[in-house]
Amino acid sequence: MTASVIVPWAESLGAALPPLVVQAERVASTVMQGVHGRRRPGQGDAFWQFRPYLPGDAAARVDWRQSAKSDRLFVRETEWEAAQTVALWCQGGEAMAWRSERDLPSKRTRAELLVLALSALLFRGGERVRLFGLPRAFSGRGALAALAQSLPRQAVVPEDGRIPRHARAVLIGDFLAPLEETRHRVAALAARSIRGHMLQVLDPAEETLPFTGRIRFEGVGLPEEALVPRVEGVRALYEERLARHREGLAAIASGSGWSFATHRTDQPPEGALLALHRRLAPG
Amino acid sequence: MWQLGPLAFAAPWLLLALPALPLLWWLLRVSPPAPRTQSFPAIRLLRDLPPTEETPHRTPWWLLLLRLAAAALLVLGLARPVWQPQAGGGGDGPLLVAIDDGWAAAPDWPARAAAAAGALDAATREGRRVALLATAPPANGEAVAATALMPAEEARARLAALRPRPWAPDHAAAITALAAFRAAHPGPLATLWVTDGLEHGAEGEAAARFGAALAEAGPLTLARAAAQPLRILPPPRAEADRLVARVLQAPMTAPTEATVLARTGDGRAIASATLAFPAGATSAEAALDLPIEIRNQVVRLDLEPEAGAAGTVLLDERFRRRPVGLSAAVETSADAPLTGDLFYLDRALGPYAEIRRGTPEALLARRLAVLVLADREVPEGREREALTRWVEEGGTLVRFAGPRLAERPDPLLPVALRAGERQLGGALSWDRPQTLAPFPEGSPFAGLVPPAEVTIERQVLAEPSPRLTERSWARLSDGTPLVTAVARGKGRIVLFHVTANAEWSSLPLSGLFVDMLRRLVALSAGVQGAEGEAPLAPLEILDGFGRLGPAPPAAAPIPANRVEETVASPRHPPGWYGTAGQPEEATWRRALNLSAHLPPPRPAAAPPQGARVETIGGVPGERDLGPWLLALALLLLVADLLVSLVQRGLVGVQWSRRARVAALLMFALAAPAGAQQADGAAAIATRLGYIVTGDTQVDEVSRLGLLGLSDFVNRRTAAALAEPHPVVPGRDDLSFYPLLYWPVLAEAAQPDAATAAALNGFMRNGGIILLDTRDEGSGDGMNPGARAALRRVTRDLAVPPLAPVPEDHVLKRAFYLLQDLPGRYAGGQVWVARDQDRANDSVSPVIIGGHDWAAAWAMDARGQNPYATIPGGARQRILAYRFGVNLVMYALTGNYKGDQVHVPAILERLGN
Repeated sequence: MTASVIVPWAESLGAALPPLVVQAERVASTVMQGVHGRRRPGQGDAFWQFRPYLPGDAAARVDWRQSAKSDRLFVRETEWEAAQTVALWCQGGEAMAWRSERDLPSKRTRAELLVLALSALLFRGGERVRLFGLPRAFSGRGALAALAQSLPRQAVVPEDGRIPRHARAVLIGDFLAPLEETRHRVAALAARSIRGHMLQVLDPAEETLPFTGRIRFEGVGLPEEALVPRVEGVRALYEERLARHREGLAAIASGSGWSFATHRTDQPPEGALLALHRRLAPG
Repeated sequence: MWQLGPLAFAAPWLLLALPALPLLWWLLRVSPPAPRTQSFPAIRLLRDLPPTEETPHRTPWWLLLLRLAAAALLVLGLARPVWQPQAGGGGDGPLLVAIDDGWAAAPDWPARAAAAAGALDAATREGRRVALLATAPPANGEAVAATALMPAEEARARLAALRPRPWAPDHAAAITALAAFRAAHPGPLATLWVTDGLEHGAEGEAAARFGAALAEAGPLTLARAAAQPLRILPPPRAEADRLVARVLQAPMTAPTEATVLARTGDGRAIASATLAFPAGATSAEAALDLPIEIRNQVVRLDLEPEAGAAGTVLLDERFRRRPVGLSAAVETSADAPLTGDLFYLDRALGPYAEIRRGTPEALLARRLAVLVLADREVPEGREREALTRWVEEGGTLVRFAGPRLAERPDPLLPVALRAGERQLGGALSWDRPQTLAPFPEGSPFAGLVPPAEVTIERQVLAEPSPRLTERSWARLSDGTPLVTAVARGKGRIVLFHVTANAEWSSLPLSGLFVDMLRRLVALSAGVQGAEGEAPLAPLEILDGFGRLGPAPPAAAPIPANRVEETVASPRHPPGWYGTAGQPEEATWRRALNLSAHLPPPRPAAAPPQGARVETIGGVPGERDLGPWLLALALLLLVADLLVSLVQRGLVGVQWSRRARVAALLMFALAAPAGAQQADGAAAIATRLGYIVTGDTQVDEVSRLGLLGLSDFVNRRTAAALAEPHPVVPGRDDLSFYPLLYWPVLAEAAQPDAATAAALNGFMRNGGIILLDTRDEGSGDGMNPGARAALRRVTRDLAVPPLAPVPEDHVLKRAFYLLQDLPGRYAGGQVWVARDQDRANDSVSPVIIGGHDWAAAWAMDARGQNPYATIPGGARQRILAYRFGVNLVMYALTGNYKGDQVHVPAILERLGN
């Protein structure tokens, strides 16, 4: 039945899974394999117990070495010392919807993908995920779709009193706002013993300023203009300013015990996800 | 006018703007181009940048150059530059342009027109008014006259409408016209005469006098072609086996060559002859050797190099196959195979002559070269008189002997005959059949070799007379004449002393018979006979360039008997005259040739004293450069605009993508809709097809219906159907589809020939068409007029006799056992082929019904059935699907299922 007709109502089944969720699952699965494929004692993955296999457990989780010793199947459970609740925030706004080329995803798309993929990983580990500004926490594998639908309703700024103390936070955005603003927000979170991670997602054009000639730059969502007579001439200066901005962000992060990383939309999301996961994994 | 070498400017003061160009340069240098706009989220990082580079962004040098060039071209173009301007006519007052537009102007007409147009350009610049005087009589039959004075622009339009005429200029009339013009416009005048340099009358010096009259009126400029032969090609001489073409020309100082081409009706040149003219020669001759069969195809001779109407001769039937009349005593039996009187004659002459049949009187009503009477006596009276007169005018009368002639000889015979005939080698004769003696010298048959097997058994005998020997063209071996002939007036009478069939001799069976008849036909003096007064209407008329075209309104018919002496004129332009007939062979046409009555061309006398002589042709005329420069400037400005747009980022960033999209869009628009499915794709998998009706909604229902059916079939059976395709019969290859669904719309048109042929081929090769009128169970309410449409669309299809689907038809048990064949509607009659046709496994090529099956099968993207069944119920839907499965099985497996699978079940059911 190679060339058979495509069952028309498959569409209606597939409609329940937004493409972003599917993509997030796919990205997340690569990370799982990357971490688990080594078959040696992992960092942070401490052995907890063997428990009998129950119907519904994935076959991959069966510890064959232990099971071979008896007639029963055992599942190896590890304890992962991680925060119980991870609060995620992905920056919104017009500026995040910007992209320099049609072939690239917008910063917002990439940020949401990372949030969802990270959530998928966390759900798999049994963690709870909150979105800033939303009352409820999500948990369980089936929650991913609900989380995806809730993404647009999350808070504009990462301020939410309902986040429990000692929770973990992951903030994803371009963080191009003035440093003081960012410092203020991170400090507020850190004051409540929330540790976290900041991931700056930038478009490649924002990093390299690839334009040439005489250009009038217009802000996105900002009523601001800048006329640059020769963009080539200011490129070095721009890069220096960006580097300083990032240094400032890194300083803010380290000052509060947070970490900071950068990501570009033209890079594959897997790398950034792995880094995020690593940051969350070791207690 | 300000001249600079070969370049002149009509508005030179505008050139003063050129020094202002540096100002433009400076302006462009100081004002930077507008910046591109770019949205950028990280604008905060660009805030308050220190001015790293103080120099403002300048217009690039190449753009500056582009704009300066555009501005300079604009200035130059507006100054109206003229390349190699033509000098004006000199003198004061208006300009009179006289043009010889007769046949001699055709070879270099563009150069002549250009010379006159150059003068008009000069007159435009000098603001002169212009009058035109064409010396050939106009086509509408009016007299030669000068136009009124008019602005040069207007005269240019008149000039552009002038064409060389297929007749000679009338300089005498032109002198009169000039006098009339002078009477109306006395005062100063400049004249230009674009002349062909020929005297067109047979005698007299009309052209020279016209030149003198022009010179008298004002300063005369004479525009004349460089030494170039002017030739005419009179009608050729038709000889027995060739055409001899004679070409006349005005004497030239250098030897020249010309070629005569023989062309067929469709314009192919099938023969050519080259004529060499030594220096000073006025005529040359060449023969076109053509086999008679080919010669009959020649309808015109053309002179190369092109000489216009005077170098074209149309060849009518006088130059073509000789018309030969055949007449027998008894017409009814004349054609009896192998025994008929005319049977052998018809076959022997057919390839070489145009055969006409009938009584002598009827035949002589038209022109005829040879009349053959096979054993037919010529009774006294009108027929004999007409025959005698025709022979004396030049006709060739060929008679064959026979029992009737032997009984009653008449005077239209070359020799006196003895009564009765002589029999050789019969049962009561000692003689043996005689063979032919070699043909005597001086006989037209001389050179032919009589084959030994030709024997003569009976013949009529001539009375001995002293002149018998000289009148004998062929003899038997014992010396008795077999063919005798006598000249009578301009024509001759020939008698074969045997019959025209094989009764008396074996001569008609031999190839010699054919050769002898061909020689006789070639010997005939051509077409003879009176043509009467019947008017011949102009059919196709030659223009001045020798091209055939429709007859102008002023062309008048010519009486048939006056075609020969008619001189080509506006009233009777050269070309084909005749009576159009159906079929085309019946068209009788005569050619009127311009060159038939032209005197040999002779050069005109030297131009009058004081006339300036210009040579036309060769030297390019003046050229107005202004529009070109302005167009170039415009192009540069467009380029500048594009560059500016790119610089501002309005185009260019996504340029390649947009171009690709635009190209795709254009391709999509250009390609007919639905052409995306190449035939190769359709062949990969088995799939159903539906015929595109053009109604989007109906086509969508068909698509969804077949999609739903394909899915149902895939799930319930072993068949694997791919997505259905829309097909257009006649455009798409139908051979990949086992089944076509065809909803018949009320407004459906009758399919064209290609569509019908494609569908018939599809059905012949085992395809099934399901025709659905979609009106069952609903009266005429749902799809009114569908029945009429069904009759219309199937009119050209090879639909076999139909019958309602019988109970035991395979369609009802190919997969499921069915009682009805419902669709969206139920209860109607479904029709299939009545007769079993073993050729395609008894599969009915058409199935016709009105149940709107596609709507019942249709399934939308959610897997639901959008169209309710009527009267309704899930059962009807299931049955509709089951019918669909049966139909697909029927299409895929033919009758295989019919007698195999369900035999037990059917037996059981029958048992109950």
